[in-house]
Amino acid sequence: MKNGMERRDFLGMIGAAGFGGLVASTREAWGLGAVTNPLGAYPDRGWERVYRDLWKYDSTYTFTCAPNDTHNCILNAYVRNGVVVRIGPSMKYGEATDLLGNKVTHRWDPRVCQKGLALTRRFYGDRRVMGCMIRKGFKEWHDAGFPREGNGLPPRKYYNRGRDEWLRITHDEGAKIAAAVLKNIAETYSGAEGKRRLTEQHYDPVTIDATEGAGVRTMKFRGGMPLLGITRVFGMYRLANSMALLDAKVRGVGPDQALGAKGFDNYSWHTDLPPGHPMVSGQQTVEFDLHAVEHCQTLIVWGMNWITTKMPDAHWLTEARIKGTKVVVIACEYSATASKGDDVIVVRPGTTPALALGMCNVILREKLYDAAYVNQWTDLPVLVRMDTLKYLRAKDVFGGEVAQLRNTTVLAKDAKEPPPIQHTRSFVSEAMRMEWGDFVWWDRTANAPKPLTRDMVGKNSNVQNPLLDDAVEVTLADGKKVRCRPAFDLVSEYAAHFDPKTTEEITWAPAAAMEDLARHIAKQPGKTLIALGMGPNQFFNSDNKDRDTMLLAALTGNVGKIAGNIGSYAGNYRVALFNGAPQWINENPFDIEADAGKSARPRQYWKPESAHYYNHEDHPLRVGNKLLTGKTHIPAPTKSMWFANANSILGNVKWHFNTVVNVLPRIEMVAVNEWWWSASCEWADIVFGVDAWFELKHPDMTASVTNPFLVTFPRTPMKRVFNTIGDIEVQALVSAKLAELTGDLRFNDYWKFVREGRTDVHLQRILDHSTNTKGYRFLDLEAKAKQGIPALMNSRTSPKCVGYDQVTDSIPWYTKSGRLEFYREEDEFIAAGENLPVHREPVDSTFYEPNVIVSPKHEALRPDGPEKYGVRRDDLSCETRCGRNVALTWAETKQTKHPLMKDGFKFIFHTPKYRHGSHTTPIDTDMIAVLFGPFGDLYRHDKRSPFVTEGYVDINPTDAQEIGVDDGDYVWIDPDPEDRPFRGWQKDKRNMEFARLLCRARYYPGTPRGVTRMWFNMYSATPGSVEGQRARADGLARNPRTGYQAMFRSGSHQSATRGWLKPTWMTDSLVHKAMFGQGLRKGFEPDIHCPTGAPREAFVKISKAEPGGIGARGLWRPAAMGIRPKYESEAMKRYLGGGFIKQKGEA
Amino acid sequence: MARVFNWQLGREMSYWYPEARPQRQFAAVFDTNKCIACQTCTLACKTTWTSGKGQEYMLWNNVETKPYGSYPLAYDLKLLEMLNGQQWNGDKYEGQTIFESAPAGERVLGWRPEQQDYAYPNVGEDDCANQVDAGAFLSIPHMNWFFYLARICNHCTYPACLSSCPRGSIYKRQEDGIVLVDQGRCRGYQECVRACPYKKVFYNPMTGTSEKCIACFPKIEQGIQPQCFVNCIGKIRLAGFLSKPEQARADNPMDYLVHIKKVALPLFPQFGLEPNVYYIPPIHAPVSFNRQLFGPGAAAAMKTYRNAMNDADLAGLLCLFGSTEAVVTRFRRQGDLVAGSDDKGAEVIRVPLHEPVYQRPAVDAKNQLVRINCP
Repeated sequence: MKNGMERRDFLGMIGAAGFGGLVASTREAWGLGAVTNPLGAYPDRGWERVYRDLWKYDSTYTFTCAPNDTHNCILNAYVRNGVVVRIGPSMKYGEATDLLGNKVTHRWDPRVCQKGLALTRRFYGDRRVMGCMIRKGFKEWHDAGFPREGNGLPPRKYYNRGRDEWLRITHDEGAKIAAAVLKNIAETYSGAEGKRRLTEQHYDPVTIDATEGAGVRTMKFRGGMPLLGITRVFGMYRLANSMALLDAKVRGVGPDQALGAKGFDNYSWHTDLPPGHPMVSGQQTVEFDLHAVEHCQTLIVWGMNWITTKMPDAHWLTEARIKGTKVVVIACEYSATASKGDDVIVVRPGTTPALALGMCNVILREKLYDAAYVNQWTDLPVLVRMDTLKYLRAKDVFGGEVAQLRNTTVLAKDAKEPPPIQHTRSFVSEAMRMEWGDFVWWDRTANAPKPLTRDMVGKNSNVQNPLLDDAVEVTLADGKKVRCRPAFDLVSEYAAHFDPKTTEEITWAPAAAMEDLARHIAKQPGKTLIALGMGPNQFFNSDNKDRDTMLLAALTGNVGKIAGNIGSYAGNYRVALFNGAPQWINENPFDIEADAGKSARPRQYWKPESAHYYNHEDHPLRVGNKLLTGKTHIPAPTKSMWFANANSILGNVKWHFNTVVNVLPRIEMVAVNEWWWSASCEWADIVFGVDAWFELKHPDMTASVTNPFLVTFPRTPMKRVFNTIGDIEVQALVSAKLAELTGDLRFNDYWKFVREGRTDVHLQRILDHSTNTKGYRFLDLEAKAKQGIPALMNSRTSPKCVGYDQVTDSIPWYTKSGRLEFYREEDEFIAAGENLPVHREPVDSTFYEPNVIVSPKHEALRPDGPEKYGVRRDDLSCETRCGRNVALTWAETKQTKHPLMKDGFKFIFHTPKYRHGSHTTPIDTDMIAVLFGPFGDLYRHDKRSPFVTEGYVDINPTDAQEIGVDDGDYVWIDPDPEDRPFRGWQKDKRNMEFARLLCRARYYPGTPRGVTRMWFNMYSATPGSVEGQRARADGLARNPRTGYQAMFRSGSHQSATRGWLKPTWMTDSLVHKAMFGQGLRKGFEPDIHCPTGAPREAFVKISKAEPGGIGARGLWRPAAMGIRPKYESEAMKRYLGGGFIKQKGEA
Repeated sequence: MARVFNWQLGREMSYWYPEARPQRQFAAVFDTNKCIACQTCTLACKTTWTSGKGQEYMLWNNVETKPYGSYPLAYDLKLLEMLNGQQWNGDKYEGQTIFESAPAGERVLGWRPEQQDYAYPNVGEDDCANQVDAGAFLSIPHMNWFFYLARICNHCTYPACLSSCPRGSIYKRQEDGIVLVDQGRCRGYQECVRACPYKKVFYNPMTGTSEKCIACFPKIEQGIQPQCFVNCIGKIRLAGFLSKPEQARADNPMDYLVHIKKVALPLFPQFGLEPNVYYIPPIHAPVSFNRQLFGPGAAAAMKTYRNAMNDADLAGLLCLFGSTEAVVTRFRRQGDLVAGSDDKGAEVIRVPLHEPVYQRPAVDAKNQLVRINCP
């Protein structure tokens, strides 16, 4: 204590003197004015100005914060002395209007979160990318003139990624080098020589063919979630499109033969796409803006941690509840959102399909379904042939030609689909129309088959009194008799396997609770909103989940209504909200429009590709003798990767450690646009430091799938803090260098408006060509945004409600039948045993045999078994497992075991997202990090801790005790040794040092036994972070060369999963709406029908590494204090029971 | 010691200074049922007031998960253990307050945290009471439960910090009842740190003074709510001024919620400080725990809240929370609209109980296009 006085002396003195004495002694001892009663009066308050001064600011301005969380908040920056000292909400969302003058209310305010507020410490943080950085070896490779081995690969000595030194260069030099590398790669891998090299590098022949002989096809560009920056992020695809100019130069071809580069997907890459939604509705995703919850009677929050991931929209949920909405939470734990639920059902992870089937079974068995909805909007009355397992076609029964359609335009062979903004109804090619034909249902009244066309939906449906639950023999036009069953009958028979008791065994959901919920939602058709989250979507059976939950929704009339709908919530994605985006990304580089007042003439040269193949060791899925990736999906080998606004594609990639150890060595350039040194930068070759949101010099635009706002990124008045340029300027700069290298000045012209500071020209073109934004002037939107006011999307409804148009106007869905299709007749689905909406066990996160189709014998289920692909039935190796179609009844399944259980593996390990990060933004900011989890400690009393917080696994306390792990201990988490954390780890100590997952364990009473959880958001260990932790006296896991800060001592949440590919994600036959507009397509389309991965699939072994007490001695302090679950002191037990208070007269 | 009246205890009690209530008292209502533990309040406070050296560990505003969370560690448990005989008789407290049970020679029963007690500020996050088993089905009250408790300084009517300060460096502002530590006069003896049962005074080793939440008085002076209120996206908070019970007005949001509906309750009233942040208790947690934290009115408050669906005034006011930066001192509801006005009677906010639904025409003739929700 100061002033040399000990507390006890002091107390003794005042104790002796009493109250009056204190005042006197105060005056005597310190010579201050008397304070007789500071409750009532205080003499000198002039010092209060200290805080008033702290509050003061010189000016404010707005900027937009848009990590990939769907919220897109326009924030106020408070500036003092030229520095943003703090951030706050604009409080102006309540003033947003649409073109018609409709207005939202101030209940939308405030829109902000802790992560946005913490940006002050990030914008000026020490891990800002302060310029252009290049890896030393990479520069040497360039400077040496790109030496290559005979097979084309650069010598290994240049590729010491993750461990190399970094050099600072100018953006100009960086762009020049990157351009030269692109040109060199294009040259190296084009033509016959290119093919030879790729062959000698052992790429799968089908992927080599996918290059079409053009080296530019080995270049992968990616703007991470382009909706988040419709010009500066989406611009990466414009860059990819311009690679057609490079190809023209390299291969000497004209505009008609030139090919663009490849562009990686986004929504599906993030495992955000619910892959079964397009299988049912034909379009990307059904969902609703979250404030729709104000209007429903019941809300089911299913595998979605709404209050942690949709934070600014959490109040709609809690406020709806105040006003009487019943909130039911289904989760695999007692989650944050469970604490806001009226009812909570805790289920086994990865069993959502079974739970939905169980509820469907109740509804079907008790005939509680919404018959009108079923008849008007689903394929359930449609007959399926039992000989071919295809839908019965009207032509085969009634003869004649396909019907003329009112609601669909059939495009003649050479006819071109108009641009999206002109679409008033669906378009389909003649070939597809002929292939589909029309359908048949059985009219029980007439006791005869009836034709059914795409037009016959909703009010135009003629389906009344259909045969639903029996087989029928239909006589075909040629006289042949064929046994048919309505899809309803097939589905009912399958769902019957999921009786309440079986469903309870599979899902753990109590039978009574499940039955009550099913009856409850069926009783009030069209009044339940079902919000599914990322949880169930990150399992291998994700498409089963979608098809089964949508079946439940359709049976209860809950698709396409404001108060009754289903939604899948993960990521932000619907770039079609700007369906005029092709004006920007696909402007024809050979035919550039230089007049700001005119529209571009799009021509797409780039080709999309799923990044999941890169994540799958750069090859498609082959099982035995069978290629299970459809030909429309086949990827090309990856020789360069360039991405912006994304850490998920490398630093936080699924199966991260296999990717960096085994996949990256074959990739010749990894270029990153970043403003923060992420794990992706750690593994890159060149990092272009770009502007952060608060210093943007080029305006931009974004929108959301969970709220109705059209949000502008206004240009900001803030001076650039570091040596950065805009994302879009990087793209323009590298193009300028390509112009120099190739002599083709169109590379320059392509970015003319950007270089002139007129990006708004492109934004206006997008607005003018987008259905729901035409009529807005970009500069007006920007001016409003500068005041903190967004605009409203002029969607059909607000809240947006996918399916509203269909249901209200009786227009067809984007399927063959125009209906929600629960039966899938395509060959790939039949082969997979998934022509019906089945339940498959998870592919790894299960205690039972993985990926089993849970089914009794069923007339319509005839999957291709392992033998058909030439593999043994008992081959459960990870790759084979993906294409393994084995059906077992539940009684059989429950007798099986996960193959690793015999080796002591026993925990499902799942990795959801949490409130403290939007993906990995901004979890390594100190003020955020310290609150992330129970191990935050700003002073790092325990020097083992990699940062002021650290990664941890949540484990059921009884489970932990059983394996000898105390609360707070460090543990090793080991996944399937076959290929994780990376293939070949057994002989690679050097890489295993940073790849094996070491983390704290927390006793977490909210998770059932056998289920463990680790948050997805934290930064992984890298060679540099491990080196830093060893070398530094303070033990921080910080790369000495880059400053990269890990939150693990080694490994990460991505140590335990792998790249999983499911055949039904990769068909060539699925019909769906195109990304932009109302045209129909089939087969691969990025972010609509392609792999989504299954990052929540991991089955692990956990073992104690070190005690949790400081310096590895004894118990972690909170446990030792008796305030942790299982360690409760007597007092803590009393506290938990409310025992410190007595109410007189009560026991 | 003086005798003062503490309405939360329904009786007089001993306090170091005589009763001297401010002209008006800053107060707040926090709805725990809406709190999402996003920590935006924490960061709003931290980035505004405590980002300096010596303040690293300080959270003037924190959010902890009850029952396993506490910042600093076990702050409440320790005091509950020390304080004997916490008994209520109806609404009257018959046990001892921390002033009444102060050891000889001390003014307040308290304890001072060690530095390590400030580590792990989010310990217990989302940890529920009782272990969840496979196949759990919960309905209200939840068998497994936790809830979030956002905490700032309570700007108590009878602050323990103020009474304990040997230098008289802590005072209560007459104009708004905000309690401040005079940074000029404080010498860092940390008696206040020891005394405050909520542990909301913090010692700054760099300045050698103790610091605490100032209720953002520079904002309050301008009629604007504090940082942690304006930034609250769970919209759980409303700031205002609370009257004495006998002077309660039904159109004053604080009075309405605290005195009239009695749906918002003080935190640990038994400590005797008459704290001025009032909590709507979590409806899914057990009454026994709520009563331990929020006093004998917990059960009735939970019932009142659950009945809000039939009480448009209450539901309306709860939907007004967080919709304006201004301090709302009066409110009224008409039909589906609820409006708030400031001290001068000017309307500062008007919102509906139900956010409107807009159905736009399918055909936009002016722009020659067909609107659709999936373009």
